[in-house]
Amino acid sequence: MNSASPSGSPPKRSALLGTPTNVSEPAYEYLLSSILTWVENECHRQYQQLKNKKNLQENKENEKHTDVKDQSKGASKQDESMTQEKAEELVMIAENAAAKMERMGYDVGYRLSERLAQNKPMSSNTSGGKKATPAMIQLEAVKFICKEFWSEVFRKQVDKLQTNHRGVFVLKDLQFQWLKRLPADVEMARIMAIKILAFPCGLIRGALSNLGINTVVSCDFLADGKNMSACSFNIKVKSTT
Amino acid sequence: MSKSGSITAAGQNLWAKVPKANSELFALTYGSLITELIRDYDQNIPEINNQLDRIGYSIGVRCIDELFAKSEVNGVQIPSCRELRETAEVVAKIGFRMFLGVSCDVGKLTEKSFSLYLSENPLSIFVELPQNEVGVDGSSSHGPDWTQLKYSNVYCGVIRGALEQVNLKVECEFVGDMLQGDDVNEIKVEVKEVIADGAGEDYQEE
Repeated sequence: MNSASPSGSPPKRSALLGTPTNVSEPAYEYLLSSILTWVENECHRQYQQLKNKKNLQENKENEKHTDVKDQSKGASKQDESMTQEKAEELVMIAENAAAKMERMGYDVGYRLSERLAQNKPMSSNTSGGKKATPAMIQLEAVKFICKEFWSEVFRKQVDKLQTNHRGVFVLKDLQFQWLKRLPADVEMARIMAIKILAFPCGLIRGALSNLGINTVVSCDFLADGKNMSACSFNIKVKSTT
Repeated sequence: MSKSGSITAAGQNLWAKVPKANSELFALTYGSLITELIRDYDQNIPEINNQLDRIGYSIGVRCIDELFAKSEVNGVQIPSCRELRETAEVVAKIGFRMFLGVSCDVGKLTEKSFSLYLSENPLSIFVELPQNEVGVDGSSSHGPDWTQLKYSNVYCGVIRGALEQVNLKVECEFVGDMLQGDDVNEIKVEVKEVIADGAGEDYQEE
């Protein structure tokens, strides 16, 4: 039933495990976008809960210290600060949601990288008997992300890798799989894209962390106006273990 | 070719055409969702099952659209379903095959319900549920009751969401789970109501 490998070539990793290698791409995309929606709603709900708790406490204190007249005077003032508060609130919620998506990405990346790197020897350790410098190991790890990891996750390799050889790497993907269908030059699409990108940022951070490299990952758009799906991931190495 | 045979062929056909994604990535992503749910809901297992069902619903609504759209584009004929048996076959042989690439069987067919048997579950390939904590004196402790967790409950939501779009209101329950030691994964689908079609008399053409 599984997509068996043709005779002669070595059996695939997943074929050995007896599970199908693939699910359909729409199934994964729907799952991911539903997770995104859920995370947002969840952060909203949690924030509201927190606020209600706070309000309850404040109200109790107000009852103790002030009488009703004072409160009605302050009402107009409250209105002004309300709108500002609302805006701050939304930013808070969005940030919480992004952090949560990033954390989930980290989880997935960490485990997936473990699976993919299982049978791969570190080539720089063995090349010519020379001892590999940390920079070489980092470069090799990032190359692994660009090739193996990327093609497992996105069915293509990273288009361009740049580095300053001092712990900063820039991965450019000119047609990022998960953003391909977003329209260019629409504000909503941009907001959506930023939300989605938290997940792959986490993926990269998790994958590298499994290889012993602690990093910070951020992302940028390369050509907002014309093409939403061209983006870059900026990796900054913090420390290696 | 028999009707059920043509349904199976249609499923295979669509699966061959649909773009693929890595199933390990799929399983791990779902796993991270479960982790977050357990973190957020303070190990309140019934609520976790409930949330999974809701997430599934929104997936199912889109799945059925994709199914019809892709079959049209690829020239794959999906037989129209006149009886529940045919609906069940389409869900099992086309739905599960097209989206997850797994085979799924129909059983326990009655007039109002059927069961779907999944021998492979792509969601649970790396999963092992924890044992319930047992207190020092042998009594069950305050830890969550993991036997209550329906890990793959998202399927129920998906089926519910998808069938609701074709006017079938159903209730789904994950009754057999290989993660809980059952022999096979079984999803029980029960039809509650066939929703009346159309926009009502007001909108009828003159």
